[in-house]
Amino acid sequence: MRCRVSNDESVSRRVRVESRFDAPVLPPRRAGVPEAGWDATGVTLQIGPGERRGFGFAAPSSPVNPPVAITSVEAVNSDASPHEVPRCSDDDGTAGSAAAGALRDLDEFRPPRTAVDEGRDVTEAPVCDRDCEADDPRDERLAVDDSDDSTEGCRDARRDTDEPGRAGSDAVDGWLTAVEARVDRVERLTDADVETATTVVADAGGVDALATLDERVARDAERLQVLSERAASLAERAAASDVPVEALERLA
Amino acid sequence: MILAVAGGKGGVGKTTVAYNLAAALDAVVIDADLGMADLPGGRGPDLHDVLAGRADPTETVRTGPVDVVPCGRTLAGARACDLSALTDAVAALEREHGIVVLDCPAGRRADAGVPLAVADACLLVVSPRAFALADAIRTRELARELDAGLVGCAVNRVAEEPPTDAVADALGAPAAVVPADPRVGRSVAAERPVVDAAPESDAASAMRELAGRVPR
Repeated sequence: MRCRVSNDESVSRRVRVESRFDAPVLPPRRAGVPEAGWDATGVTLQIGPGERRGFGFAAPSSPVNPPVAITSVEAVNSDASPHEVPRCSDDDGTAGSAAAGALRDLDEFRPPRTAVDEGRDVTEAPVCDRDCEADDPRDERLAVDDSDDSTEGCRDARRDTDEPGRAGSDAVDGWLTAVEARVDRVERLTDADVETATTVVADAGGVDALATLDERVARDAERLQVLSERAASLAERAAASDVPVEALERLA
Repeated sequence: MILAVAGGKGGVGKTTVAYNLAAALDAVVIDADLGMADLPGGRGPDLHDVLAGRADPTETVRTGPVDVVPCGRTLAGARACDLSALTDAVAALEREHGIVVLDCPAGRRADAGVPLAVADACLLVVSPRAFALADAIRTRELARELDAGLVGCAVNRVAEEPPTDAVADALGAPAAVVPADPRVGRSVAAERPVVDAAPESDAASAMRELAGRVPR
């Protein structure tokens, strides 16, 4: 459900929008905590003069028309901060709601792998450089159909040392394919019915082969995160840089 | 009374101050650094188990010279933690023990913010170096946003005459000087808080001074 409210008046106004669905509102959340202003029946927003605000929610129910109703509108004291949103109903100022606010507003907690898990180095580039991501013999089976391609890619990467650029990207592709296979498998197992689950387990060669899959995928997620940050910053730098060929030619 | 011991940077001695301060306050100290546990561990359930809903907070208390709630040391355990369960866990320990000292992690992420939000008051640990002060000021801001009143700051591991007044001015709270003393450094690993091991030392009196600032 997507909505937009606009305030045409020249003062800040507080608006209460309630869902007309015959189901509880599933508000936008951060770290599992509803955004400020939301409760089980709707949202209370404070809109500045001439401002428009979009918001949305989900409801486990069939559509109704109109989906929402504005139940109250009131002008807000102008000395209040325009971004101050009234606390939601469970936000009663106790330590519990303060903790929920901290969870909602602060960056998500990500445990530093190097500190707690003295295993792999988190800065290690996620290409199959040393262990080809196949250090675990079970993984050969886990990385379904594409597993051969992926390890092939790694072997090529080792052979073609005179073509480091291409080999490196092959290795990255191979690794990504292996990750994709693992994620596919986990997705098929997530909320799967008995039949699907049985097929997946049989494909993998038993429950034991799947035992480490969850952990493995969590590790993949972390590596992918690091990779995406690095890739984004590199792309930014690459786009921003510019070789002044003409100027160099003149100088030469 | 729930007191958070926080500091901007890692390695300024938050754990050491938290442990020794808990001794002076006769409090239980909780290792709330979910990703980098520092207080002595041991067998049995720990804070990771509590925050994953697997253990009761009161059964995690390890009695000793200072009662400690240890924190797990595994990545899986840290990932499985539900930080929103910290409020109830700490409240249960407060009911049982009266005063709870939270040894907080560094940084401004949720794992550092939630203990501050849970706490009634906080104490900042600052290194006597200039560059550490900026981080402490950021943490002070975070504590202020989360309504954890600052009761004081500990300028830790001081070897030379420290800029105590400058620190107190910058942070807006009285500063106590904890001199560099190897007995303080050893206290956590040896589980011998300095107020017991060397009650006459300057470090012990600094801890008692800080403890005296904590409202009860």
